[in-house]
Amino acid sequence: VLVTLQLVLLGDSGVGKSCIVLRFVRGQFDPTSKVTVGASFLSQTIALQDSTTVKFEIWDTAGQERYAALAPLYYRGAAVAVIVYDITSPESFNKAQYWVKELQKHGSPDIVLALVGNKADLHEKREVPVQDGIEYAEKNGMFFIETSAKTADNINQLFEEIAKRLPRPAVSSTQNP
Amino acid sequence: MLLSLLSKRSLEADSRDAYGFALRPQHVQTYREYSHIYKEEEEERSNKWKNFLEHVEKSSELCSPEKAHKEELQAEATEQKAETVPESGEEGNDTISGKSVSGCSSERDPEKELQHSKETEKSKVQTWTLIRSSLSSIENMMSFRVRKGKIMKDKQIIVDKDHLPSEAASLGGASEDDVEEDVCFSDALNDSPDAFTAENSVSDGFSDGVKVAGKVEAMGGGVPNSVQGIGTEEAEEAVANGAPTEPFFPWKLELESLVHGGVPTDLRGEVWQAFVGVKARRVERYYYELLAQETNTTESVDKDNSSGVPRKWRRQIEKDIPRTFPGHPALNEDGRNSLRRLLLAYARHNPSLGYCQAMNFFAGLLLLLMPEENAFWTFVGIIDDYFDGYYTEEMIESQVDQLVFEELVRENFPKLGLHTSHNHQSSYIWFFTFHETVWYSSYYPSMLMAVNHLDYLGVQVAWFTGPWFLSIFVNMIPWESVIRVWDVLLFEGNRVMLFRTALALLELYGPALVTTKDAGDAITLLQSLAGSTFDSSQLVLTACMGFLAITETRLQELRDKHRPAVLAVVEERSKTGQVWKDSKGLASKLYSFKHDPIVTEEKNTTEEGTTDGYVSHSKSGSRNLDELLSGTSVDSEVDSLPELQDQVIWLKVELCRVLEEKRSAVLRAEELETALMEIVKLDNRRELSARVEQLEKEVAELQQALADKTEQEAAMLKVLMWMEQEQKVTEDARINAEQEVAAQKNAVHVLQEKYDKAMSSLTEMEKRVKVAESMLEATLQYESGQAKALKSPRAATTQGNTKKLGILSFGLGWRDRNKGASDLKSPSEQREPSSPKDKTGEEEKGNAK
Repeated sequence: VLVTLQLVLLGDSGVGKSCIVLRFVRGQFDPTSKVTVGASFLSQTIALQDSTTVKFEIWDTAGQERYAALAPLYYRGAAVAVIVYDITSPESFNKAQYWVKELQKHGSPDIVLALVGNKADLHEKREVPVQDGIEYAEKNGMFFIETSAKTADNINQLFEEIAKRLPRPAVSSTQNP
Repeated sequence: MLLSLLSKRSLEADSRDAYGFALRPQHVQTYREYSHIYKEEEEERSNKWKNFLEHVEKSSELCSPEKAHKEELQAEATEQKAETVPESGEEGNDTISGKSVSGCSSERDPEKELQHSKETEKSKVQTWTLIRSSLSSIENMMSFRVRKGKIMKDKQIIVDKDHLPSEAASLGGASEDDVEEDVCFSDALNDSPDAFTAENSVSDGFSDGVKVAGKVEAMGGGVPNSVQGIGTEEAEEAVANGAPTEPFFPWKLELESLVHGGVPTDLRGEVWQAFVGVKARRVERYYYELLAQETNTTESVDKDNSSGVPRKWRRQIEKDIPRTFPGHPALNEDGRNSLRRLLLAYARHNPSLGYCQAMNFFAGLLLLLMPEENAFWTFVGIIDDYFDGYYTEEMIESQVDQLVFEELVRENFPKLGLHTSHNHQSSYIWFFTFHETVWYSSYYPSMLMAVNHLDYLGVQVAWFTGPWFLSIFVNMIPWESVIRVWDVLLFEGNRVMLFRTALALLELYGPALVTTKDAGDAITLLQSLAGSTFDSSQLVLTACMGFLAITETRLQELRDKHRPAVLAVVEERSKTGQVWKDSKGLASKLYSFKHDPIVTEEKNTTEEGTTDGYVSHSKSGSRNLDELLSGTSVDSEVDSLPELQDQVIWLKVELCRVLEEKRSAVLRAEELETALMEIVKLDNRRELSARVEQLEKEVAELQQALADKTEQEAAMLKVLMWMEQEQKVTEDARINAEQEVAAQKNAVHVLQEKYDKAMSSLTEMEKRVKVAESMLEATLQYESGQAKALKSPRAATTQGNTKKLGILSFGLGWRDRNKGASDLKSPSEQREPSSPKDKTGEEEKGNAK
């Protein structure tokens, strides 16, 4: 069974949204990647153990605050929103919470939210405790994971978990004939 | 200017293009193929521009001799003004004063700049550089646009944001604008009668001037009417605004066509400055004062309330600098410092805008082509003027433009276009030159089909045009194409080229897009196709010639129409605080006009919606339905949406979605119909073409066979000829041989005869010999009888006899030798040979031999 999933990445600038997507789609990591202007699109297909195939259609959005004006264009139709922060930046964690609120109010009602703490490889510079992330995610009914696009840690797990956690009715509704 | 520092070799080795930008691995090959074309185009345009600039320079020198003095005086006067009103120094220029004023100022500048840099900047800043004088005419023309713009701004009393927060006093403060306006008017009025050579020389009736006028006429004749229409529109606008009418530049249209063909690389930096009207914008020392503030504030470490750049922008800029063209050889330590200075200076220059992602790329691009301060003023021109309101905190104009674009693709290109033929290349030119009154061409089947198809797939055009517009195509299409689009955009002085280029891309890739089966594939395909638009000339020409209907006037009308909606949303947002009330924002606005035409189509919708059962299976359709259902259930959670108005908005959005669904069904039906037609056509065409192909193949085969046959025939003929010849030769040989045989037979015959003769003569001779022998014997017997009788007296005769005996013995010997061969009678039957007969026997022997 092929399932198409529309996913949008949101979060503060420089937290590694594009890097996560590039790691997931191309298996690459470029420490000097480009600034994303507006948004960019990539897609990737993975096979799950229960023999379903999930095609992710990923919108990677620009991080700067003012680009939030354009964000609804991309998250409005999305089934999943992945909100990313940088574990070395409390500011980006605040920004993540802003995005959660925004999506709870204005995203599609059955949107699946995931909270991702990126740059887990920089644990010596950590400023956002894991516990904070876990607690906030739990409180808001989100899936939480810490990843590192640099070391590829938990990147595939993130997307696999998202695919698994999608409520089946929602999955079948997005099923392609 | 950083670009000039790059060596070509290092670029090629690194798989970078001529501008030093990295090529994607999949594009390296294509780029190599196109680099030859680029080279050829570059050569061609260098020549064209050279000729053009020479011509313009000549025509502008016509009235220079006496003016030069005047200008110098004027320049000095304005120079004095410059002390009090910095901008006026830049206002008092024209074709020639460009040289003289700049001559003075550029002598003065370095000192001041040096002072500044000593005081404030530790790292070196590239100094202001004037563009070459041959471009001053273009610069002058464009400067006029800048001044006009300023005047209009003042009239509309748009809030002036250009003041310097701390040193406003030094720049004249509030009175600055008024003074500036006065200067503008007076200068412009002073300028127009004597400064603009073409006009001047024509009115003076100089012989050269007549030539120019003649040329103008000639050019005017060949120009499409619509372009002239635009020209007069501008003029009217100018008159209406009370600004002095722009002087007539006879070469403006020629310049336009040159720009469409591209600006030569070595001129580009300066031509862009001329287009943006940098000289008219520049305020002396301004940039360095901005930089000075910067260094002052960094000393007072990151105070948010200081007059310096707010911390968030500084941080954002710092974040983005290494992410601007990463790995570009020109963006080394110095390059990045330049980029940082420029962006910080701009953030201080326009604090309400500050810094917006995407600006880093523009600044980086400009720094590649020109010195730092020049880049700063060009940047200011582009952001403050061309893209006014685009990158601001609310990005209002950029949202408005998306709505405008949406309307353009939907409403301005009627569906009639669908059944037109594909070979419209030549026809639309005709269309525009002779049917000006018909604004919108129906000749964009590809684009229209693409948009319809995207609608069906649930892809919003703004998803990809948003990034296109905001980045001005940087990183979206190959660099050669980006730069060619910028050439036109900067020349035109507005955002029309954005729209035209986006339309051209849809038109170019429409046919490919229609083949995609889901939203993801469509977007992926479009991204990758756009990313490989290496044919920059095709893109620019399609954009400029194919979409003449998109004009600034039209865009302004549409912007005015859609702006209130965007503003309302923004206002709502600012009222209610950080989080939007109507977060749908642009998205919902996109709907709000999308459903306009639906009302009329609604009846069709219901019909076709039901017949096309599978539409409800379609992804977007079902999601919308889900959302509708959940949307109604949301009503129970109304506490989260306390105000009725919110509910209304919410319901409106839901309504829009439903309508959208219906609309997509209609569109799908239409699309299917056309697709079916296309398929049928295609099928027919395919079948036909297959048959034609087959027939062609057969014909080719037959022809081949025929050729083979004729070849064979020729070969056979040759062989035959050869054989005939051979035959002849052998015949000849045979005849010869026969003749020879006959001759030999003859010879044999003769020989036989001779032999027979010889034999017969031999036998005869033998007979004779026998006779002679017998006679000799008889004689001998007789003689011996005689000798017995008389012995001595006959001594003398005995001597004679011995002689005879010698001969006889010889004759006998010879006969003996021939005995076996001639098969004669036994030698015992000897006969007496007579002496004369002996002689004949000897003769016979000689003959036989």
